[in-house]
Amino acid sequence: MDLDPSAVSRWIAPLGLRPGEIAEVFVERRRETHLFFRDGEVTEARVGLSAGVSARRRLGREERLAFVSRADEGGAHEAVRALSEMVGLSPLPAKPARGRAAEEEEDSSAPVERWRRRLAAALARHAPRHRFRWTLREVTRQVIPAGAPASSFSRRLVSLEGEFIAASRRGDEPRGFSFHAPDSEATADELKTALALAAVPRERPTPCAGGETDVVLAGGSAAVLFHEILSHPLESEAPLLSRWKETRLSVSDLEVKDDPTRLDLFGGYERDDEGTRPRAVKLLDAGRLAGSPGDRFRAGGGASNGHARRAEASDPPLVRGSNLLVAAGQATGEEMARRLSDGLWIEEIAGGSVELSSGQFRLRFPRARRVRRGKMAEETGAGIVLGETIPALRGVESGMGRDVRVCRSLGWCARAGQVVPVQGAAPDVLIRKLLVRSST
Amino acid sequence: MRDERLLERLSRRAPGEWELYVKTAESRELASTAESRSERLRREQGWAARFWEGGAPRFASACGEAELERALSRAARTPTAPAEPPEWPGGRTAGQDTPALKPPEPPPELFEEVSRRVSAESRGEASLTELTVRRGASLERIRNARGLDVSIVTERLDGFACAAGRRGARACEARAVFRWEDGPEAEALARRLADRATLPLADRRAPFPIGEWLLDPSVASALLAAAAPLFTGFPLPAWVARERLFSPRVTIVDDAAADAPWDGEGTPTRRVVVVEEGVFRTPLRDLRSARRSGEEPTGHGVRPSYRTPPAPLPRRLFFEGGRESPRELLSSVRRGLFASALTAPASLDLEADRYDVEFTGVEVLAGRAQGPVGGARASGRLSELFRRISAVSTDRQFFPTPHMTGAPTLLIERAAFE
Repeated sequence: MDLDPSAVSRWIAPLGLRPGEIAEVFVERRRETHLFFRDGEVTEARVGLSAGVSARRRLGREERLAFVSRADEGGAHEAVRALSEMVGLSPLPAKPARGRAAEEEEDSSAPVERWRRRLAAALARHAPRHRFRWTLREVTRQVIPAGAPASSFSRRLVSLEGEFIAASRRGDEPRGFSFHAPDSEATADELKTALALAAVPRERPTPCAGGETDVVLAGGSAAVLFHEILSHPLESEAPLLSRWKETRLSVSDLEVKDDPTRLDLFGGYERDDEGTRPRAVKLLDAGRLAGSPGDRFRAGGGASNGHARRAEASDPPLVRGSNLLVAAGQATGEEMARRLSDGLWIEEIAGGSVELSSGQFRLRFPRARRVRRGKMAEETGAGIVLGETIPALRGVESGMGRDVRVCRSLGWCARAGQVVPVQGAAPDVLIRKLLVRSST
Repeated sequence: MRDERLLERLSRRAPGEWELYVKTAESRELASTAESRSERLRREQGWAARFWEGGAPRFASACGEAELERALSRAARTPTAPAEPPEWPGGRTAGQDTPALKPPEPPPELFEEVSRRVSAESRGEASLTELTVRRGASLERIRNARGLDVSIVTERLDGFACAAGRRGARACEARAVFRWEDGPEAEALARRLADRATLPLADRRAPFPIGEWLLDPSVASALLAAAAPLFTGFPLPAWVARERLFSPRVTIVDDAAADAPWDGEGTPTRRVVVVEEGVFRTPLRDLRSARRSGEEPTGHGVRPSYRTPPAPLPRRLFFEGGRESPRELLSSVRRGLFASALTAPASLDLEADRYDVEFTGVEVLAGRAQGPVGGARASGRLSELFRRISAVSTDRQFFPTPHMTGAPTLLIERAAFE
């Protein structure tokens, strides 16, 4: 980062002197590369380099933030100066510190080229007719709090999203595919495996029948359900769950936690956006509501558990979930299907939402498998799972699957207009009496 | 000029085939709840370049001039398939007298007023939970290899509000996005929020499976916005019959002349009749889609952000005409449902000719409102929905979706409900 943290710390210090006052300077540099693939060719390359710095001060329920779109000392000075004016303090002198440096950061395009070659080969083999967008996001963030040491951290995240034409037993069909993961040595192989699995020939689906049914959320997709019905209400301190504190809401072998320290997952981070080192938080412990994600404000004088997150430097931090993890049980897939007996087996959730005041949630799935008498039966088309939070938690049946799978299709979560990376991993989970209906 | 070096680099990389876009923006935002208050000031600069180096399309964006130079180099390194460059517009030079950007005033404090009105409109059943109001100003400058140089100044007052309704053990949330073009409209916002937060609290579902369907302007504009890709995306789905896409009572126009004299590519804004008396006439084109189709651009190259290249999108799309008042439409309904608000985003499958709309509203019998319907669902073929619009009212309102979409109350002669 092109600024001197000790100088910036001196500027922000007067804004964080009073008891309970939280003040910091937040700096972000972001490099995004997008490649658009169409039927084996890259049809467009896009590169975005953005940077920004914001100065924030919070006292009780009052918060003020000033943002400028440059991440150097001049930008930090301008942001702190604007913030000082907003809170009524005498502003910093107008003369900026060091201006924008003609920096030359590491600018290798080798990782992009490596990915381009690997993807071209994988797509040619598994999904030769396609429209995909591949994205590499490289983000570096720095937090300089008033009266505390500065910290910085980086993430490299890869996404592949789009549609391809897959073979089904009765002809070709378009299928959606999305994959989100931190960039690592193993990511390309994992993506290739996921793509091969998504391209497997299938039966043509029959329309999904509506009505109340029992459901197994398999393939890690249970993480999406608990993200909606636990993470969101707890991060918002919604009364929906807060009145059930420490009450047993589900079976005793249901353990759910939010863990930002899992850096192998898309939602992980080494520091949150207030500079706090994060901790895993148990949301449901033996079926009882346990902790909740928090930030410095909610922690009061105590230690934050590191869940303050911003979509961008221009946004104030909000308490948000990160990686939703459900603990494994002992059941095999066959046992889960036998216990389900008659119902729906859902491997993939395309999106979800929850209404915090009523607790009603909905999960969209692109296809599912009907289970009859404990055996996998016909494929069904797209549908929506509907339910209410507390009855759904009470409907979880004891005995989770033994294999925990990462839900790589879950990658982004929006709240209050801020979109942050998230992910989750879960075993197969059986839930009784959910409402399912077909969707267009 | 400061950016001469950048222009020179673009000319060298892609002779005759480049465009440079620079945006400067400042906004002030006030987000309030019953217990908290957050003020935000944002000063932003965005630079973006599109260029066809070696005949292949590339796009780079950055928050500054030096960063854009680096992004250009990176974007040029990936081997990319060649594609036809657009026919760049030229001939206008406004760069010499580029207007200055005035810092916006703080947005008005409206939480208490809207809160009081929501409570009154809902008879105490709903309360305002959050109100965010933003006032912003931006200056955009577009230049290209053909010598085009135009500037656009925009001022905006917009935001969103949330309310919660509660009746006994039942609860419901409502969210409304707004853009105020003639100053704050607290009363209209409060009415929308109160309806959306309280109507779904009714136990009643759709009382009949088939009936007439009266759409509030907010519902009609959400449907028009969801159907808008039909007017920009090609090829058209197989079910679309251009000669009879809508009922003959429907005329749809896009005209953003009051918003800006040019689009995001520097093409002059003009009024485009998209659908005329039910017939699909003119699609909305940006430079690239115009080049591909061999037609003229219509001034619909839209940049949702400086970080994305322009794409063909509506700018100010609306139903035109309408003869009857909303009251006349209501009184003409024999048996039907009035959809006051959506309870989930409208789901339109444009390829498969299907729609699925969940809404809350009021039952109407013999032209009179009977009682609230908490939740209902209408679904069927889009082609039939479009052709069954039997009346268009005069009470057109605009909503940000996010482009401005305008619709009056519409009457659909028959729909299937659940």
